[in-house]
Amino acid sequence: MTDMTSVRFVDRMPKFMRRLDPAVTTAFACILLLLIVGSFYSTSFLSPEYLLQQLKVASFLGVIATGMMLVVLMGQIDLSVPWVVSTGAMMACAAAAYGPIGAALAIPFGVLCGVLIGLVSGFGVAYLRIPSMIVTLATNAVAQGLMVVYTGGFSPQDSATPAMRWLATGALIPAVPNAVVVWALIGAAMVFILTRTTFGRSVYAIGNRERAAYLSGIDTRRVVLIAFAVAGGLSAFGGVLLAGYASKAAQSMGDAYLLPAIAAVVLGGTSILGGRGSYLGTVAGVILITLLQSILSVMQMPEAGRQITYGIVIVAMLLLYGRTPASRG
Amino acid sequence: MQTGQAEPLFRMEGISKRYGGVTALEDASLTLRAGRIHALLGENGAGKSTLIKVMSGVVAPDEGRMIFDGRDVSFASPAAANDAGIVCIFQELSLIPDLSVADNIIVSDPPMRFGMIDRATQRKLAEDALARAGASDIHPSALVKDLPLSRRQMVEIAKALARKPRILILDEATSALTAADVKKVIDVLKRLRDEGLALLYISHRMHEIAELADDCTVFRNGNYVATYKAGTKTDDEVVELMIGREYNHVFPPKPVRQVDQPPVLECQGLGWIGRLRDISFAVRPGEVVGLGGLDGQGQRELLLALFGVLRGTTGEVKVDGKPEMISSPSKARGAKCGMALIPEDRKTEGLMLPMTVRENLSFAALDRVSNAFGIIDTAKENALIDEMVKLLAIRTAGVDIPVGALSGGNQQKVVIAKWLMRQPRIILLNDPTRGIDVGTKQEIYQLLRRLADDGAAIIFYSTDYDELIGCCDRVLVLYDGEVKRELAGDEINVHNLIASALNISTAEAAARVGGRA
Repeated sequence: MTDMTSVRFVDRMPKFMRRLDPAVTTAFACILLLLIVGSFYSTSFLSPEYLLQQLKVASFLGVIATGMMLVVLMGQIDLSVPWVVSTGAMMACAAAAYGPIGAALAIPFGVLCGVLIGLVSGFGVAYLRIPSMIVTLATNAVAQGLMVVYTGGFSPQDSATPAMRWLATGALIPAVPNAVVVWALIGAAMVFILTRTTFGRSVYAIGNRERAAYLSGIDTRRVVLIAFAVAGGLSAFGGVLLAGYASKAAQSMGDAYLLPAIAAVVLGGTSILGGRGSYLGTVAGVILITLLQSILSVMQMPEAGRQITYGIVIVAMLLLYGRTPASRG
Repeated sequence: MQTGQAEPLFRMEGISKRYGGVTALEDASLTLRAGRIHALLGENGAGKSTLIKVMSGVVAPDEGRMIFDGRDVSFASPAAANDAGIVCIFQELSLIPDLSVADNIIVSDPPMRFGMIDRATQRKLAEDALARAGASDIHPSALVKDLPLSRRQMVEIAKALARKPRILILDEATSALTAADVKKVIDVLKRLRDEGLALLYISHRMHEIAELADDCTVFRNGNYVATYKAGTKTDDEVVELMIGREYNHVFPPKPVRQVDQPPVLECQGLGWIGRLRDISFAVRPGEVVGLGGLDGQGQRELLLALFGVLRGTTGEVKVDGKPEMISSPSKARGAKCGMALIPEDRKTEGLMLPMTVRENLSFAALDRVSNAFGIIDTAKENALIDEMVKLLAIRTAGVDIPVGALSGGNQQKVVIAKWLMRQPRIILLNDPTRGIDVGTKQEIYQLLRRLADDGAAIIFYSTDYDELIGCCDRVLVLYDGEVKRELAGDEINVHNLIASALNISTAEAAARVGGRA
């Protein structure tokens, strides 16, 4: 009986305490380390304004990485991020050009475009059994082509709606940027989905053993399809926020988000092979990546050096994590 | 041709091999002579496979010695055994489909000239090997993937011959072949014997053994039983030699069957790409129906076909008298069919090992504990999990540890429990007691009978004949994808099971056993 009560107690504990993943603690330790290093270069590095600004920048990546995490948890990958982000941004801005109704529907329309691209990718992976790496590269190329046709290869002239700008730059709660609130809401929803719904359990199960999940009577193909659609929608939503932040969409505005999104997910302890990882880790990974980028710019390193350092640090961290054996049998 | 009295070419003595706690071979011995074909007989798990793995360097024995050509030998790898002259042709084909026949035959040690493969010599060698294998009609530069299965098997033999073996082992090498091809292979093997090779032949086809073998050795339970000259024993005597397991299980009593209830599952003319052929049977509620036969005769495929895993099945499956198209596991487990499948390999098919006991237990029944939006009712989930942990007495330090941390027996209980959560009406079990401890086995036997008494229909495949005898009301014996025989009541005994598994007619044997009982 005592055994059972202790089990109950463990149940009540928050998930991150129950399974304190070493990767997540490492990620948070790295964040602290970066903050300390950063404070040597600039005293303003630890000021609340600067940190909130960082958090705001991080929230764009955070939204995109949320979708990426869902896909990586299944042992897949989404390489269509760059142009799904751009598509979401451009389509939302394009809708804004069609009067008040267009403006009202701008955000959902942008997200919908991302969902559609995600559905195509998901269909290819789940039903046609093409490796996700290939399918999403292809959908990325197609999305790029469509956008180039639409814009004629120039930066589109449409600008973001006030709602988009407000979401990205406004502050409903004083001093807290709306983008951060949006990320927090999406994050909370994702935590709930991953831990408390049949869909979330199925995602983890597919990442661990797709065959076992299938033989348990789960429609694994549908789960994969939906996960890719959600990931596409979140990437596009990230693009919508970015467009709001910059007031307009731009060609290849999503290019800078593919590697950081994957890196954030993996640095946060999600196994690239799938089946293992917590959202808290992804949050840590996103903040870590954002701080790293920020510090490199604070150090006033030339762009080329920044890219090189950034790449090396990510590879080094991934190597470090890759050494911890995944608990697969 | 050498005389049989000469010093044997190969001898193994006192060979033992254990895998964890399971003894696969115990003090086994075997003697091979040049110029003779030696057949190896035994039922599932008799130790045949382990024996040839030891011989061909795939596994190292724990004890014992091997004498080859008068010298003590031990093989570190299959390549070492190959070099010594022992070559094995396994049941699964080892050819690379996208390479040519010649490339495949000379894959391990191609002739070199100036650091490059000497194509002309290679082709010559391949042609020689094919000719020796009696398959000179196969073009050396044809791609293996363009050849039909039976031709590939001939290439496989040629590949083995190209390694200049002195001992050739054939493990079920004819199981993929048509009758005409088997005839050819038999001729080739006889010629190789006359050339002075020693052949070790493993097959479940008794008529091939009768035609080919000079000597036969019977194994049982990992032990050597007897060696005799071919033709000196009748089929019945051979079966008797193969019988003889130790009975160490206690089975719950079988109740008197009520035959009045209509069958819950009916299967008519079920087939699947030649691996299952015209299988028809019916199962009533409360019945435990066993699937018998040697390993790999279609039992697994039958269970998977019923559960909707296989594509392209033919025939009709009726549940509650109504035809059902079961096209996926999610349909099979649905309310209309109410099926559950305890799969063969719990580590890759039954469980997600790194996930918790909780997540695994409730996984197949998540739709039962969640609302329309798929949000899990934790209280309901916990209640069901507690119930199952108690019902099956799953020994775990808590439900939030990875299921991979449990013992094999407890893991298997989790697999069974996860399906019992759905209260299935038709339970398919694929060798559920393999690799688990005796205590847990007993618990599973009791559980199966209890589930049947509660009205479930159970189809139970086991490679252990004792289980079939102890647990089942009826046993369907499969051979080559067909139900060859149905045993019921007192007919379910070891003799009948082995005889029908080997597809040898033992009408007189059945009568004798019946008379004795």
